[in-house]
Amino acid sequence: MRNNYLAQAWLVILLGLCFGGMLAAVESTLSGRIAQNRLDETVDQIPKLVPGATREASTQDEIDGERVFRAENPAGQLGWVISGGGQGFADRIELLVGVDARVREITGVYVLEQKETPGLGNRITEEGFLSQFAGSPAEKELVVVKTGARAANEIDAITGATISSEAVCRIINQTLKRMRGDLVAALDKE
Amino acid sequence: MEYLGSLILIALGAALINNFVLYYFVGICPFLGVSRRVDMAFGMGCAVTFVISIAAFLSWVFTTFILRPGAPLSNWIWSLVNPGSDTVVDLSILNYLVYIFVIASSVQFVEMYVRKFHPPLYKSFGIFLPLITTNCAILFACLEIMKHVSGVPPAQMWDLGRALTLAIFGGIGFTLAIVLMAGMREELDLCDVPKALRGAGITLIVAGILAMAFMGFTGMDQSLSGLLTG
Amino acid sequence: MTEAATAAGPVDSGPTAGERFINGILPENPIYRQLLGMCPTLAVTGGMQPAMTMTGGVLFVLVCANVIVSLIRGLLKPHLRILVFTLTIATFVTIVDRFLAAYMYQMSKQLGPYVPLIIVNCLIISRCEVCASKQSVRVALADAVGQSIGFGLALASIASVREILGSGTWFGMRVLPAAWPEWVIMVLPPGAFITLGLLMGLVNWYVDRRQPSRR
Repeated sequence: MRNNYLAQAWLVILLGLCFGGMLAAVESTLSGRIAQNRLDETVDQIPKLVPGATREASTQDEIDGERVFRAENPAGQLGWVISGGGQGFADRIELLVGVDARVREITGVYVLEQKETPGLGNRITEEGFLSQFAGSPAEKELVVVKTGARAANEIDAITGATISSEAVCRIINQTLKRMRGDLVAALDKE
Repeated sequence: MEYLGSLILIALGAALINNFVLYYFVGICPFLGVSRRVDMAFGMGCAVTFVISIAAFLSWVFTTFILRPGAPLSNWIWSLVNPGSDTVVDLSILNYLVYIFVIASSVQFVEMYVRKFHPPLYKSFGIFLPLITTNCAILFACLEIMKHVSGVPPAQMWDLGRALTLAIFGGIGFTLAIVLMAGMREELDLCDVPKALRGAGITLIVAGILAMAFMGFTGMDQSLSGLLTG
Repeated sequence: MTEAATAAGPVDSGPTAGERFINGILPENPIYRQLLGMCPTLAVTGGMQPAMTMTGGVLFVLVCANVIVSLIRGLLKPHLRILVFTLTIATFVTIVDRFLAAYMYQMSKQLGPYVPLIIVNCLIISRCEVCASKQSVRVALADAVGQSIGFGLALASIASVREILGSGTWFGMRVLPAAWPEWVIMVLPPGAFITLGLLMGLVNWYVDRRQPSRR
């Protein structure tokens, strides 16, 4: 009886082997490209997030189990690019945050992924909103205000999308709070 | 406390804010097909919640220990075969194949178990079990868990508790949506619906209105997370 | 199977390749007439580009799965056939997923979980079961292409309505004047349900009107 089962399943086993071979071929041809795509997504943004750093000189590092990028140019390290994410208004928001080497100042913010309401919340990806973050202090928590940001740590909310704006600030605050100590320690160690 | 807070946020997100049916559109087939009567809809919802938890548990275990890049078990086997090699074994290309077989076999086992040991339960929702294998909601839950386990830095990886919370509350969200829909369809039977829209058409339009109502939940976890984290 | 088929001839049961092809497009349209594969229909139709990418993926998987199942149909054991279908479909979906991630990275991110969800798309498994496991390769191929075109047309109709009304664009090109107040609800989940519901009513109405004249 047991032999019989094996005889019946030979087709499945054969197909399994064929498909396994196909998948292995696909994986070995494409995996390098896919990994490169994933990396490029972040690395391409480094010059914009940390002014002065170049794409080629920057390196990837792992600090305390998280992936970070050292934004560098040939002369030395200018800052860090770290990633953070959290719940936005509709779905998760994934951000890249650029800071200077001693984590005193935010140098740029980029939205990697978001599914906020079109026309309202998705304006968090626009230059007008994101450019406010450059130059904000990284040691003080960012605060969202509805009209006329005055202090350096105040950010103007997008009209009609206060929650999305707050979500971005909250994610930045949390990411910086989590990573600041580790980043400075890593820099001091060198 | 922080951990509990994150669980509450995942649960709320899966059940209400990003409801599986009304936000991600998974599990639409049973949502249209089995939402004619409330008791049947409830049975289907329970069956899905049950299977989704088992499938999520298994797929979390498989992904964490075998499939993800650098998974302990597969790397250990590799180092036995090839001592001294420092290649990171990555089997994530097999993810989808493994998930679909995990789902199919857990459906089979649940069906056999329920038929043998709980005949009354089998009578009430056993008929839905074979249908569940091709229910997108279950594969979707596995994929969401994969997104948080495979290829993410260790510090952000989801543990079993988070994975199960997502699955169970996703199932509850599915049950909620399908039971609400069935309640409305029972009332719709008494209405004079234009002939062309009868059946799937009007159901979809009502589902659209239901989805609009569920949009009211968006953003509520923002203030909640503020409360939980202080 | 049907009376007409047995009357037509003993060689090939069911419609011919050409008929299968035409059938898939409107008379047996997978979305509007058979209500199969609703999940991607609603999820990726916020714009034409993701909708057409999804159609391409479904076309590839359906053609490959149908051809392979048709080739091995003589060897299939009844109780193992669903297993074989699933194995075949999951393999090709993985290939599509990797291919998109390698060559259309942004699109693959946008489609997210809906590419792997093709595995449980009832459309493909039902075509393997209904057609490919009983018919020759040629018929199975025609059926796969016809059904995919039908699927693509349905997706295109929904995506056009949603993208034009919701963001004033089509394939990313501006078609409505900038003064158009964008109906944001159309690109959000409720818009998907309502658009599909109304379009389905429209198709039913059209088919009902043509039915008496055909008889």
